[in-house]
This record gives sequence, structure tokens and C-alpha cells, in this order.
Amino acid sequence: MSYVNKSWWQPLALGLAAAALCAGAAIAQPVPQAERIKLCGVCHGKDGNSRMPNTPSLAGQPEFYLTNQLFLFREGVRNVPGMSELLKGLKDDDLVALAGYFAGLEPKASDETIDPALAKRGAALIGPMRCVSCHLPSFAGQEQMPRLAKQRIDYLIHSLKQFRDNSRSGADTLMSNVVIGVSDDDLAALAHYVSSQ
Amino acid sequence: MKTMAPKILAIAATAAALAFGSGALHAQQKGFSTLDKTDQSKSKQNLNLKGNPQPATATQLEKIPLDRIKLPPGFKAEIWSHGHAAARTMVMGDKGTMFMGTRVIGRVYAITNQGGKREVKVLLQGLTQPNGLAFRDGSLYVFAINRVLRYDNIEDKLDNPGEPVELTKAYDLPDTVHHNWKYVAFGPDGKMYVQVGANCNICEINPGTHGQIRRYNADGTGMEIVARGVRNTVGFDWHPVTKELWFTDNGRDWAGNEGPEDELNRVEAGQEGAFYGFPYCHANGIPDPDIRKPNACAGVVLPAALTGPHSAGLGIKFYTGTMFPENYRNVAFIARHGSWNREQRFGYDVAIARTDGGKATIEPFLTGMLDESANQFYSRPSYVFQMADGALLVSDELHGAIYRITYSAPGK
Repeated sequence: MSYVNKSWWQPLALGLAAAALCAGAAIAQPVPQAERIKLCGVCHGKDGNSRMPNTPSLAGQPEFYLTNQLFLFREGVRNVPGMSELLKGLKDDDLVALAGYFAGLEPKASDETIDPALAKRGAALIGPMRCVSCHLPSFAGQEQMPRLAKQRIDYLIHSLKQFRDNSRSGADTLMSNVVIGVSDDDLAALAHYVSSQ
Repeated sequence: MKTMAPKILAIAATAAALAFGSGALHAQQKGFSTLDKTDQSKSKQNLNLKGNPQPATATQLEKIPLDRIKLPPGFKAEIWSHGHAAARTMVMGDKGTMFMGTRVIGRVYAITNQGGKREVKVLLQGLTQPNGLAFRDGSLYVFAINRVLRYDNIEDKLDNPGEPVELTKAYDLPDTVHHNWKYVAFGPDGKMYVQVGANCNICEINPGTHGQIRRYNADGTGMEIVARGVRNTVGFDWHPVTKELWFTDNGRDWAGNEGPEDELNRVEAGQEGAFYGFPYCHANGIPDPDIRKPNACAGVVLPAALTGPHSAGLGIKFYTGTMFPENYRNVAFIARHGSWNREQRFGYDVAIARTDGGKATIEPFLTGMLDESANQFYSRPSYVFQMADGALLVSDELHGAIYRITYSAPGK
């Protein structure tokens, strides 16, 4: 399937290596908030809108959601290579401040190409799968539930598969219930639709 | 009803687990479809109902709304400990350490008494919803989702618990995650009781593997099924006199604001392995609207009491202390975490269940944390614990605090 990045981890790992290089030992020391934000931007985009495959956009995510995820990364509950290391030593207040910053940025559409046929199929799945109860009809997300609109398609597909295959630790298990048994193609259709919103 | 030989059930469970595998196969398997059958459009509920957010930080001491708590005359609430975000399960070690499990935040706390003041330590972190805790012979058993760990001599190693004994393989729990944050406890028979929830809101679970309460030897051998057709219990206890197992059970969502109501159930002595109805029959004999079956409630053990629509009864403890008045002896305290799938909120309190044989009546106990007119809640009571002196502890997940309830006779 051409729309699925075959080696999603590779650019991610590169980006993290870059970030880790910049950060070095510095992240464990008191680092000004502006420096931290710059580091996040290496992978997640300067304006919080990611252009890096399989790396999520953070701009306009609910602050509550971002805070929770930062906690889960710091404490090693949610495992993404590099993220725990980057956040180690940050205080609760630091995490809340980072979340607040990215929540306040303007989300922009992903630079990936939306497949209209897939998006149309995805639109038909939204109702039966009850997506809008939590993610809202605008897919802007709320509280602990993330924004899906304008999110990267490859990241959405990757996440949906993790939920389905019970490999996303730290997430609300409700998502696992929603997508259990759903085919790869349907997950891709959902991703194309919600990203286009 | 007749008890099915637990051994046969155990073998069936293994066979079913082998046959089913995971992921998309579930949906295609003939006979069982674990696809969620929720038909939200039929429920006539507000479709924007959603799960309550759980913060990753604890509430500052002065902002914990203690003065909202209402109790019967003579009872008093105070804050026993605070600063442990996402507080849920409580078990106590032999040397007085309070161990606390959590869900989303992935921590296990150790709370110790330092000169009359509580000191909170993050004992373990990075686990996936370590809600299940048990303590015996100096060892702390930690059940995260699909992971079982034992920390020996833990109270001597609170600063550095070291590597645990891994019991995950021995317990061989299913790999699904939904409704599988654990509740565990040692029974009066010395066995470890473990629940395996239905991994959906409403679906045809594989009865060989899901919707069960099981018991094991402490090392994970000798599995037997104690109760079947149980949707999502995350609290149980044994009646102090009859030694029978009582458990709370959370009813399904998206079938109306009024229920089916949550349940308090009893496993009658000699009836281990009995069927409690999920997914076909709920509450006091309500056939499921989305999964139909003729005679849906035939052979189903109906609840001892209904505990309210979407109230989310979690922890349950029978009171055996002497601090509270005589009429609280052997009464079960139930922490009701509070609703999400109900337009008018319900629960957010501690209720009591007075049992009589196989039946029970429910009464309010700790209230005041739900403002009904504003439809707003101020607490998420999760578990209850009885101290050696008879005081009752209540954990509050929302604020990351434990309340201590004491009694002194009026006029004293």
C-alpha cells in the first residue's frame, strides 16, 4: 500500500538522534522553555505541524491530551524511541507548560496527499464507530482525546494499528475496543478522512 | 444451576486462546465475533457523552474539596494522604506500608507513616495500568495489564525495589487490553483471585477466556474459573461470616441513561463457575438490546442488588472493625466512581450494602461530591480500605488523595 510509509521508524529515529544531539546532557539541566520548544520542533515542526513521516503534529492538540502524553512518555508508560530520554528530569510544571504552548499553535493540514476515494470510505465508517462522541464532529479533540483533523495520515494509521493490536501502552483502552478486528484498509480510510477535516 | 468442572473450563480456555489468535481474525471467526455490537443510535442518549478526563497531576492539598463530604451523624472525614496522582487501589504491607495502584499514570506508590505524617514515594513507574495489587508473606504482587510481577521483601526495599519475579507467563492472561486493568486479591482459601473483563462494551466474548473471575495458586498454577459472564468487575471481597465471594460489576453503556444498572453479585458457596449473564442478560434480567438470544436470562445468576445506572461501583470491603457502630458490622462499603454514559450524572459516592443471604440492600454513606443541579462532580471515589483501628480509607482518583473516615458517638 503506497500510502503507508514502509519504514516509519527510520526518519523518526534520525530526527530523534538529531534532537538528542542538540539536547545532549543539556535537557537534564535547567533549559529555557524556548530551547525545549526548539528541540520538539526538530521532529514535530517549528510551528507544531509535523512534516516528518510518522511523527505527529502537536499544534492545536488539547492541552489536557498533550500533558497526559508527556507524562506517559516521561515515565516510560508510552514507548516511543527517544521520547522518554528527552523528557527525563522535566518537572510536572515543565510538561504542563510545553503542552500549553503547543496547544496554542494553529493546526495546519498535513503535506501528505489525501486519497479522495479512501476519505469517502472513511466518512462512511465514522458514524458506526462513534468517533465523534469523543473527538467531536470537527475532530478537534477535547480534554484527554486528541485532535485528529489535519493530523499526519501515516501517524494516524500507525496509531490505529497500535490500538487494534493492543500495542499502544498507556492509551485509553476504549480505542482498542473501537477498532478491534478492523482491517488495515478501513483504518487507512479512517485516517484519510479525519486528516482531511 | 450446575457447576461446570473448572478443570475442563481451563482446558477449553487454552484451546480457545490457541484457536483465536488476535487482531482481525477475531472478526472472521465463526461463532464468536468480538466486534463491538453497540448500536448507539438505538440508545436515545446524548451522543456526545464521553469518558471523564483523569489528570496526571494531584490536586494541591488546599484545593481538595474535603468540606463537600457528607456523612451520617458521628462520622468525620479528613485527608489521610495526598499528592499521589491518580490514586486507586490500596493494600497494606505487614509493616504498615500502604501500597497504591493506579491506571493511566502507570505508577505504584508506597505511602509510609513518618512520625504521624504520610510520606509518598513513587515505588514503580512505567507500568501499563497497574491497578491490581496484593500483599502476602512480605511480597507485593503487581498486576498491570497482561503483566504479573512479584516483589519479595518489598517493605525492606522501598527505595530500591530491584528486579521482580516475573509471573506473567505462569498466569497466562489474555493479551487484550480493554477492561483488563486488573483487580486481584487473596481469598480466604489462600488463592489469588483475578478478573478478566469483557474486552468490549457489548460483544460476544469468547467465554473460554473473557468475562471471568479466576483463581490461581499464588505462583500462577492451578487456574480455575470462579465466575463467568462477568462484564467488568474491578472489586471484590469475601463476606466475613459466610466466606462467600461478593463482587461489583459495571453494566454496559449505550443502552440508555437508566441502565442496565450496575450489579453487586454473590458467588454462592459450591456454585463456583456460575454464569452471570454477559453479554445476553443484564441487571435484574434485562435481555441485551443489541445481542439477542432466546431465553437470554435462563440459567443466569441474577444480582444480589442493583447499584445504580452507570454508577461504576469499583472497590468493595466488608467492614469488620469495632470503631463504627454495631449496625455497620459485616456491611459492605462500595466506592462508586461515578457515571460517564449518563446525561444526569450518578454515583461519585460511597454506598453501603447490607447483605441478607443472597440479597442486599443499598444505602448512601459518603455523599456530597456530586452537585446534581449543576450536574458536576468533585470526586472519583475508587477503593475502600479498613485500617486496623477500624477507620475507613477511601481513595479519590480525581484528586490523588485518600480520605480517612472515623466515628465517635455523638456526645462523647
